[in-house]
Amino acid sequence: MHLRKGTDAPRSLNAATLFGVLAGIFTLLLITAIALLVADQRKLLDSVTQLRTQALPTSIEQQRLARNIETLRLEGERVLSASTPQARQQAMFVVNLMASHPSILGNPRARDIATETELFLTRVTRGEQGDSAVHAEWAQLSRRLSLAADDISVEAVSLARGEVATMGAVIEGAQQKLYATLAITLVFVIVLLLLMHRRLILPLQRIDATLKTLGKTAPVLDLPPGSLHEIKAIEGAIGQLHDILQKHEETRDELERLAATDMLTGLNNRREFMHIAAGEVARSQRYGRPVTVGLADLDHFKRINDQHGHAAGDLALRAFADLVRSTLRHADTAGRYGGEEFAFVFPETTPEEAAVLSNRLRSRLDAMVIALPDGATLRMTLSIGIADASVRSLEEALSVADQALYEAKASGRNTVVLRPMAGLSILPPDFDH
Amino acid sequence: MSIRPIHRILRALACLMLGGLLPVMASAEPPLRVIVIGSSPPMSYEDGDGKLVGFNIELAEALCQTMKARCEMHKVAIGKVIDMLAAGEADFAAVSFLITPERQEKVLFSKPYYRSLSIWLARPEIRPGATGITVAAVRGSAQARYVEIEGWKNFFVEHHRDLPPLLAAGTADAAIVPMPTALRLIQEKELQAREIGPSILPVPSLGGDVAFSINPQRADLRPRIDAAIDAVKNDGRFDRINTKYLPFRLQ
Repeated sequence: MHLRKGTDAPRSLNAATLFGVLAGIFTLLLITAIALLVADQRKLLDSVTQLRTQALPTSIEQQRLARNIETLRLEGERVLSASTPQARQQAMFVVNLMASHPSILGNPRARDIATETELFLTRVTRGEQGDSAVHAEWAQLSRRLSLAADDISVEAVSLARGEVATMGAVIEGAQQKLYATLAITLVFVIVLLLLMHRRLILPLQRIDATLKTLGKTAPVLDLPPGSLHEIKAIEGAIGQLHDILQKHEETRDELERLAATDMLTGLNNRREFMHIAAGEVARSQRYGRPVTVGLADLDHFKRINDQHGHAAGDLALRAFADLVRSTLRHADTAGRYGGEEFAFVFPETTPEEAAVLSNRLRSRLDAMVIALPDGATLRMTLSIGIADASVRSLEEALSVADQALYEAKASGRNTVVLRPMAGLSILPPDFDH
Repeated sequence: MSIRPIHRILRALACLMLGGLLPVMASAEPPLRVIVIGSSPPMSYEDGDGKLVGFNIELAEALCQTMKARCEMHKVAIGKVIDMLAAGEADFAAVSFLITPERQEKVLFSKPYYRSLSIWLARPEIRPGATGITVAAVRGSAQARYVEIEGWKNFFVEHHRDLPPLLAAGTADAAIVPMPTALRLIQEKELQAREIGPSILPVPSLGGDVAFSINPQRADLRPRIDAAIDAVKNDGRFDRINTKYLPFRLQ
């Protein structure tokens, strides 16, 4: 048994636990990433709302303020260049309005320069200032008004710029988080696939391969280290299944052996002998090869039983069977045909060769002394009939061999009779060698 | 026999269609009744063809367009605006009203759309509060209310256009008008001839936030008008109207 038991491996893991833990970790990571992304999205929405409701309207108001500073400068020009007192008065009125308007007063820089402009122009309209000084100072004031308008205008844009920068940073952060989330997902999928391959698919493939050869050989289920508990359980089950199959096979073999064997002598019983002999005869006839059968009977065996008892008879039969096994060739088959009757099939053997072999068996038995438990000894002789089986059926050949045996008995026993196709040949007792 | 079920089906279909149409018809709003002055350039007046024009007129049109509402404009004297709104005879007034506590008791106000000042129109030597002078204003205006509170001798008229002849004839020595009106009145030749000029009245109650006024029963209109004001102020329409009627930006 080459199976490693699941309990031997300390790295064995439960599938539910493993995948549960993995899924838990991944879910936690994913939820965290999503929460971070949602927070970013909220921040972005807040920024957009701030931009829409605060920064942009304020920025537009600032632009209007810058425009009004420029209007103030233009009206100042008109005050200085007016051809009629009415025109000058009208321009001055707008200057007054600008300098007093809450929107201008609300911005310190605008307020200061507007007030300065209004005071200067008021002095000019009242004729309190000389012409040359007026133009020089106005040129300077006019440039400062333009600059103030520019600055306020730029400030307006930078109001929105701050929010836009914040939004840009948030989007960039969100993008990185999104990439991180994608990477986490990718890693998880890869890990999952690897784990599935290593801990499920690979073991299953090995189990499949093992199951295919289960009946033939002992299963060698070489599971990779860290295989899942469930897989290990299958491994154990396969081992048990194999053990059971093995036992079944052994039992079946034993039953087959019992069914084919003569219990007393250990030789093939008659049924098994007929089965083997039929096969040999058929094969030889198919290939045109010689094959010979023989029938043997222990002479006066009944006397042994009568004189020494059945136990001695059994002992004699077993001794004879041992002699058969040691004398016949490997390819030859012997079987107990009846009480003290035995049958042989000699493949690739002519009747003459078989007769020589049979005679050797006969002479050896003739020479053998069997010691009985009670100290007595006994001897036995054997009559054998040989028949060619290469041209007739097994049954016919055995029938011919039986006739030959009968003739051997009739001619005085302890002899081998070969019954060729025609005629009868009685071999003398010294036929051997 | 086979026609009857068809009739039944057709009748059911007709009912379904009517049932579907009725809510649509019900949801079609009646036109908004908008009060305008129509006699106060440059904010609200009639051009040579009798067509209503001016800053407030165009602003009201832009707001209605933004609210996707049909608006019908009705010319009303300033003095009647607040009472008409309070009585529910109109939905809102496209009139530049200073948000005063008295007015707030009667009507709702939109969000302010600019801040105004009040202007003293008189010969240079006639100062506010001078004894024995008659001060003119438009009836129902914040300026008229101020004159009353100050207890000055007064002469109230229905329309701004009535003021120049009054000042030219000497019936009134001075007039108090809103900032935009003053910009137009100072161009009147008869006033220039009498050297009647403008000066800013530094009175807090006569300056500050200006808004459209709304029928108090139409509180639902206020957020819509406010949103529309935001929209036109942010998409450039407000400034285009501004440039058309005034020399500087209203803020």
